[in-house]
Amino acid sequence: MKLRLPGKPSLVRRLILLATGWSLIVLLVAGIVLSAQFERAATDRLDTDLGSLADGLSAGIDVEGGVVVIPEVNDERFTRTFAGRYWQIAEVRADNVLVSVARSRSLGDTQLVLPPSGMAGLQATNKPVPYDAPGPVRPNGLGHQKLRASALLIRIDDNPPLIIMVAEDRTAVDREIRTFATTTAIALILLGLFIIAGVWIQVRVGLQPLFDLSREVSDVRNGRADRLAESYPAELAPLAQELNALVAHNHEVVERQRTHVGNLAHALKTPISVMMAEAGSHPGALADVVSRQSKAMHDHVEHHLQRARAAARAQGNREVTPVEPVIEELARTLERIFRDRGVSIDWRCPPDLGFRGERQDLLEIVGNVLENACKWSAGKVSVTVGTPETESFTLIIEDDGSGLPADRRAEVLKRGARLDEKTPGTGLGLSIVDELARAYGGSVSLGDSKLGGLHVELKLPRAEH
Amino acid sequence: MRVLIVEDEPDLARQLRTALGDAGYAVDHAPDGEEAAFLGDTEPYDAIVLDLGLPKIDGVSVLEQWRRDGIATPVLILTARGAWSEKVAGFDAGADDYLTKPFHTEELLARLRALLRRSAGHASANLACGELRLDPKAARASVDGEPLRLTSLEYRLLHYLMMHQDRVISRTELVEHLYDQDFDRDSNTIEVFIGRLRKKIGADRIETVRGLGYRLICLPGEPN
Repeated sequence: MKLRLPGKPSLVRRLILLATGWSLIVLLVAGIVLSAQFERAATDRLDTDLGSLADGLSAGIDVEGGVVVIPEVNDERFTRTFAGRYWQIAEVRADNVLVSVARSRSLGDTQLVLPPSGMAGLQATNKPVPYDAPGPVRPNGLGHQKLRASALLIRIDDNPPLIIMVAEDRTAVDREIRTFATTTAIALILLGLFIIAGVWIQVRVGLQPLFDLSREVSDVRNGRADRLAESYPAELAPLAQELNALVAHNHEVVERQRTHVGNLAHALKTPISVMMAEAGSHPGALADVVSRQSKAMHDHVEHHLQRARAAARAQGNREVTPVEPVIEELARTLERIFRDRGVSIDWRCPPDLGFRGERQDLLEIVGNVLENACKWSAGKVSVTVGTPETESFTLIIEDDGSGLPADRRAEVLKRGARLDEKTPGTGLGLSIVDELARAYGGSVSLGDSKLGGLHVELKLPRAEH
Repeated sequence: MRVLIVEDEPDLARQLRTALGDAGYAVDHAPDGEEAAFLGDTEPYDAIVLDLGLPKIDGVSVLEQWRRDGIATPVLILTARGAWSEKVAGFDAGADDYLTKPFHTEELLARLRALLRRSAGHASANLACGELRLDPKAARASVDGEPLRLTSLEYRLLHYLMMHQDRVISRTELVEHLYDQDFDRDSNTIEVFIGRLRKKIGADRIETVRGLGYRLICLPGEPN
């Protein structure tokens, strides 16, 4: 069974690809949004801290007689050089010229810069303005520290405005943000894999009825089933029903054709009979031709009749025919046909053995072999049924007649072969058996019997009944 | 010997009548199942050739009806349908033999002879009574090796007497078995034929049992 046709994408793959693509997009967006959100929150927190620091500083600042008084700041991070926290207070002179009034020792000789919005931005608000700024150059040659800063413009009485700038090294925050982003990415990738696995399972399980359907259709085609089960989900049930209807219709058509061929063949036999008899009773050249041709017609009719019967086998069916009654009937009938010759048929068959196929075919197969055996026997025919395998059974039919030389055995299985024209029969018997047995996936083999005559072994599909 | 042919195809029926008539049988013909059932039930045939595909009532049903009615006449089925399932059904319905179309007339005659012989309980194909011999296959009779020149009716009479040589046969029985149903039956003609036959085979060979009928005498000491 193959679900995927070359060149056509598989349904499973398509569903999984779709789900994968979609979840990738969703997860990517989620990751970006989450990281951005976290970054903002972290920066906000920093900004709030810095804002309160700036506010704190501004509250402590006083101007006494034009001299700016700076409150004492004892935080170690402000005092050690490059320790991570910085402040600077600048006075805005005329023409917006900034003059640094005081700054933390941690800054060394670095100046903090104004926010990108410049003086105007500070003048527009009385709240601290947060921004990114370059910090002091790091001693190990790694460039400037990256700082987050906050600037606040205050006016004390009529003195020139003061700008308070507070800054903090943002490396730690950035690291936190990066760690968060990495963790989030790993978590989201894992989530993505789980989702894909989930989708795969869902698709496999969800589409299982579809695979079942495909397998069942193949079973029907191979003759292992004669119809689909009706237990499909609501979406597939109509399809299964339609397929069943199609199979039934197909059976019906073949059956009808078979009947037509049968009727035609049988209808032709009577006129052929009349022609043969008429020709037989008026000897002459014309009669010879008519005799020969009507014999040929009969052979064709017989052959195609058998072919039509065999063709129907290819359809496959689940019919099971009990073997024992068939052998019993045939033995009874043949003993009656050959009662003048006193033929006795000794047979034995397991009562629960079934033949996977039609009764009329089993009758035809066994009937022809058995009739052949009776015809050639000196009075004893034996039928032995064996079940060496689970899928097939063997039927061995032997007689005590004169047998058949090995080199002529292949001949009798051929169409129309007849080794002795004097023994009545159409000569089609064993070739029909061979054709029928093959149609059922079985076989016919000929050999020597212990009884002295021919040993015919049939191998046929088995079923319990 | 009187035989019923049940066949709906007129040409085949005609051929069969001719062939069986030539072989020395009195022949009746039924073209459909209904008439066949009636004739088989009412007339004492020695054998019946029955086609299965018949109008009105099919052959197997007709046969089953006869057997239900206790008619034991040997029946040879003649059919186009030669599948084993059909053969088995035919024999189960009570047929004694089965011949598939197309067939050779000689084969049909041979099967019919075998049927008649079997129903009368004879083992050999040829009939004998003392020095009297009858070969049903060739439709010929002889006495002491001398061929007898017999008319068709004389042959039928001798054949019937030889088939049932150990019993007395009534005149009515002879009429029923020698003539077909279209024949103008007059039992007095039987006496005429008996007389002619006596002249040809010897008067003492046919004994008249007064009030009962006739019996063929096979002289004691002669092989039977």
